[in-house]
Amino acid sequence: MTVAGRKPRPAPVAGENMFALGRRLGTLDVVVCCGSGGVGKTTVSAALALSIAASHDRKVLVLTVDPARRLATALGVSIGADPVLLPRARLRRAGIPQQGEVWAAMLDMKLAWDRLIERAAPDRRTAQRILRNRFYERISDSFVGSHEYAAMETLYELHEAGEYDCIVVDTPPSRNALDFLDAPSRLSDYVGARLLSWLAGPSGFGLRAVNFAATPFLRIADRLLGGEVLQEVSDFVRQLQQLYGGVQQRARDVYRLLRSPRVGFVVVSTLEPGPFKEAEFFAGKLRDYAMPLRSVVVNRVLPDSLSSREAAAAATTLVDDASVVGWLRRHLDLHVTPETVRSTGRTFLTFNALAQRDEAQLQRLSRFSQAPVTRIPLFTDDLSQLEGLARIAALL
Amino acid sequence: MPLPAGTIEALLQRRVVFVVGKGGTGRTTVAAAIALLAGRAGKRVLAVDVEATGHLAAALGQRFAEFRPRVLQPNVSGIELRAEESFQEYLGLYFKVPRLARLTPLSRVFDFIATGVPGPRDMLVVGKIAYEERRRDQGRPAWDLIVVDSAASGHSVSHLGAAKAMLTLVRGGVIRNQVQWIDDLVRDPQRSTCVVTALPEEMPVVEAVELRQRLRSEVGVDVGAAVLNRVMLMNTTPAQRSLVTALLDEQHAEAVRSRLGGNPQPFDDALELCRRLHERSEQHERQLRHAFREPVLQVPLMTTKPGLATTRAVAAALSGRAA
Repeated sequence: MTVAGRKPRPAPVAGENMFALGRRLGTLDVVVCCGSGGVGKTTVSAALALSIAASHDRKVLVLTVDPARRLATALGVSIGADPVLLPRARLRRAGIPQQGEVWAAMLDMKLAWDRLIERAAPDRRTAQRILRNRFYERISDSFVGSHEYAAMETLYELHEAGEYDCIVVDTPPSRNALDFLDAPSRLSDYVGARLLSWLAGPSGFGLRAVNFAATPFLRIADRLLGGEVLQEVSDFVRQLQQLYGGVQQRARDVYRLLRSPRVGFVVVSTLEPGPFKEAEFFAGKLRDYAMPLRSVVVNRVLPDSLSSREAAAAATTLVDDASVVGWLRRHLDLHVTPETVRSTGRTFLTFNALAQRDEAQLQRLSRFSQAPVTRIPLFTDDLSQLEGLARIAALL
Repeated sequence: MPLPAGTIEALLQRRVVFVVGKGGTGRTTVAAAIALLAGRAGKRVLAVDVEATGHLAAALGQRFAEFRPRVLQPNVSGIELRAEESFQEYLGLYFKVPRLARLTPLSRVFDFIATGVPGPRDMLVVGKIAYEERRRDQGRPAWDLIVVDSAASGHSVSHLGAAKAMLTLVRGGVIRNQVQWIDDLVRDPQRSTCVVTALPEEMPVVEAVELRQRLRSEVGVDVGAAVLNRVMLMNTTPAQRSLVTALLDEQHAEAVRSRLGGNPQPFDDALELCRRLHERSEQHERQLRHAFREPVLQVPLMTTKPGLATTRAVAAALSGRAA
């Protein structure tokens, strides 16, 4: 939030490279941002959308998966399922002039699932029956990859509708950042499993028509759940089965879209071991899927100066060499305690260790990906959220 | 920063501790550290890796864990949950289904149930944990404490709430009673509690507060403590600043460089970064304490990679002893 009366600082000038990534990716139709949770993916997605609109006169939509509260409070808008236009005057004042427009929307999982059912069901009555089934009520949040599926579904619909020139998607933070790539086919496998036909019983009569004693499974299932639940499950399954054709077709369409040259992937990561490993894995997986990795954005990088080995040697002297205290007192005329000397050395060595780790990871990065790397430094100063966003947008 | 006395001890008195939190907040290391501390206190501990990622075993210094308990550290065994194996075990235990008959089409039925129909997969997770809590070995409980490295935030709410949800779906059948005792265990504050992990950053704190709220209101499970990881405990003192200013003085540059064996120029950046991170840590710690009535334990930022050494240092921080 900008404090009243204080002039917002303009975004730092990143020179010729300002908005470079936005310029480069801004001609695409879809930009998918992926990476593990907690790396600042939502902020980077939003900043990238701003950067694209700063360098292209296009209508850009950023689709977030998490409630993008930071973005919303920074811009004084509320972001829901219906896209909202981010206020241009405010962005310009913050140092992100916009040639185009940026709209923001949040993924509505329930809506995405309901629409899938409505579209894929053979008729309205079937759709209504599924939507009212109490198993369905929970399926949208407990089906494995349901978030991922809903995100891809929504992306596809928005892309087809063609209202936006460019869509930037912030993918769901999942255990495995790749789940969304598998989600469409997993859903169609699921709905299409032959087993379902078997469970649903011959010619659509459902389990009631089957002798429970006939197969060990049904005997167990009946004892486990009680016949009533089993009947409901079988109804549900039978209804779901009617979606198969529609779901399978959609899965194919989504893959075709993701592989198209009009789509680009951006991996967002920090240099911490966990997220970094995930990013590395992700880059490999994209290769397997023949989906183009266009850029790697590395967030929260420590200043280069901290990795200096020479300075580390000096800090080690402060920590290990007790006689240095006397030397400092004599030569610099400094009243300094041994503890101050040691702790100063230790502070530097702590950051040096982190910075050297960053450096090693960055080298590793160049080995597993040829895609251009954009670094975003760790910001620790008291920026307003909008200023922070502006700084990142300028760097992208 | 005074440590709430006996927090860890109180956690170790329970039968099951679920370590929950957003991805990247140090959940696995905290779970491993609690398991280590309990093992050192002489308890027989089972460490459960819900997502079967292998990270928990690694944090306890081993290359892998399996579905069957494997000794990872003195007094600490570990398992990785796998839904299919849980289901097979379940069928074998309660329905005496021979293994052969379990192959097809049962395993396909299983796939369907486990990945699709809501509830069962989550039930298998929490059910296996509850089963281990109940399991007896030579007349006494097989484990004194079960420490669970849970799934990421949203999923862990589904896991813990699975039994409660299942009770509304299943009105009869054998499963009803089983689900009932699982739910009783999870929601009994004497026996089960959650530890919520967070980082001293804006969103992770907000999410930890939300998670606490959801666990308490949606599931009705006890929250015993929060752990704030990667805290910058070090701060910059005025004396350090004067020292660095003197070291960087042009006048002595040559002498300083040759005496210290290197150029201390970047010390300035380090002190400044340290000060800011410390300030930020404190601010987020206050926020977290404000929202959590439960104790908030702090773990300092570590520069080492995840592994047994790091876990030991985290355990020391949690128990209030110097590493």
